[in-house]
Amino acid sequence: MQSLFWLIAGLSAAPFVLGGEAFMAALALASLLLALATLLIGIGILWRRRRARAFAIALEVVCLLGSALLLLLPIGSNKGPVSLLVNVALPIAVIVLLRKDPNNPFS
Amino acid sequence: MFSVSTEHAIGLVAGLVAIPVALLLLPRQKAWRDATATVKGAAVLMMATAAVHLALVGHHTQGEPLTAALFVVNGILFIALSFSVGWRHWRLASSAMLVATILGYVVYVVAGLEGPDQVGLATKLVELTALGLVLVPVRGERRPSHRSIRWTGLGVAMPVLLVTTNASLWIVDLVRPDARHIHAGAVLQSTNAVATQRQLDAANELYRETQASIAPYSDWHRAWAAGYRPGGSQTMPSTHWMNQRFVDAGYVMDPQHPQGLVYANTKHGPVLLGAMFQMKRIGEFGPDAGGPVTAWHQHENICFTPLGLEFSLMTPTATCPLGAISISAPPMLHVWIVDNPGGPFAVDFDAKVLKKIDQS
Repeated sequence: MQSLFWLIAGLSAAPFVLGGEAFMAALALASLLLALATLLIGIGILWRRRRARAFAIALEVVCLLGSALLLLLPIGSNKGPVSLLVNVALPIAVIVLLRKDPNNPFS
Repeated sequence: MFSVSTEHAIGLVAGLVAIPVALLLLPRQKAWRDATATVKGAAVLMMATAAVHLALVGHHTQGEPLTAALFVVNGILFIALSFSVGWRHWRLASSAMLVATILGYVVYVVAGLEGPDQVGLATKLVELTALGLVLVPVRGERRPSHRSIRWTGLGVAMPVLLVTTNASLWIVDLVRPDARHIHAGAVLQSTNAVATQRQLDAANELYRETQASIAPYSDWHRAWAAGYRPGGSQTMPSTHWMNQRFVDAGYVMDPQHPQGLVYANTKHGPVLLGAMFQMKRIGEFGPDAGGPVTAWHQHENICFTPLGLEFSLMTPTATCPLGAISISAPPMLHVWIVDNPGGPFAVDFDAKVLKKIDQS
């Protein structure tokens, strides 16, 4: 799901690149690469690669810190339920699912 | 799309309340102990989505009895599925129900029967997550069956449903914005519908004073000397030049100290299009002397990148391209001194006129 969110975010920048925003092209490409990396990390987790799990946890922690910063700064960042679900609840859920626990189906 | 509709707020509350209730009630069913964590998670989420639908029945009963009836059926079926995780056909029934509910919402929004809002979108995300949990094969399943079919279903359903929902809601939101969303990402100040003569006079006065005060800045060198600096890429058709000193000083709609100037980027150099007044704080609209003629606007949920000061729009799932951050800009009011089909105080400058200026 996260990979898809970033894929959509990357594609959403394309019309602005066509409108003349040259730097947006770099951000769109970076977002698409992140989407691909997230997908590969997801596959790595399914294949029970230890490194993939570590990468995923690191990625989610970075996402959480970034989201917390955006929510705390007075810059009018979106604080709606969808934003909280996608940028806060989802990373927390992934970290919880990836914790080391013999009863956890994803561990 | 980024606001919670007043009528739907009760759905959000019901969905949140349903989670602890589900965690309390669902473990009482017989098959709960043998169910995997994914199945349990899906059951809890389906209880939450059931509560959202049932809470919205009352609002729809008056004008939309069919929708209300569908919500009742939907809620009851989701509750029934949550309490029957041991049922042989549970996965098939749950998947079908979740897919039908998500697609049903998309059809409703596209058909104009429902406006996209945060409660609807959040509910669809919860349902998509539940669908993923229903389909994903994990260790410790009591009846591990049809694993390849489930993986295929997961690999197809998730991207297709997520992209379809996102694209449909976004297109609908851009094509059919509500009265206060004049263009993508901009929310208009709430005003009276028709301008009074006094408001028209005030608007004309503001226009005349602003036009006179910014006339010297037709020469961009003078604007530069006054402290205005381009705030974005020069490859765009137009650029806002901002005066940070005037922004910090907090002048309120002062024609002598406009916070910004807008220049067209032409092959002959910058051509002055108009001025921009900006308030200091988000959500604080400026004095609306001209009523609907001089309504301020505020850009909300834009993805802003400090890299080249460019922006795009936040996606319906509240994400921005990597490196951009979601922000809202304080309210602003443009005064166009070049003829603009939308009027001298329009939110945007006409793209065709801009092209003509560049070609002239």
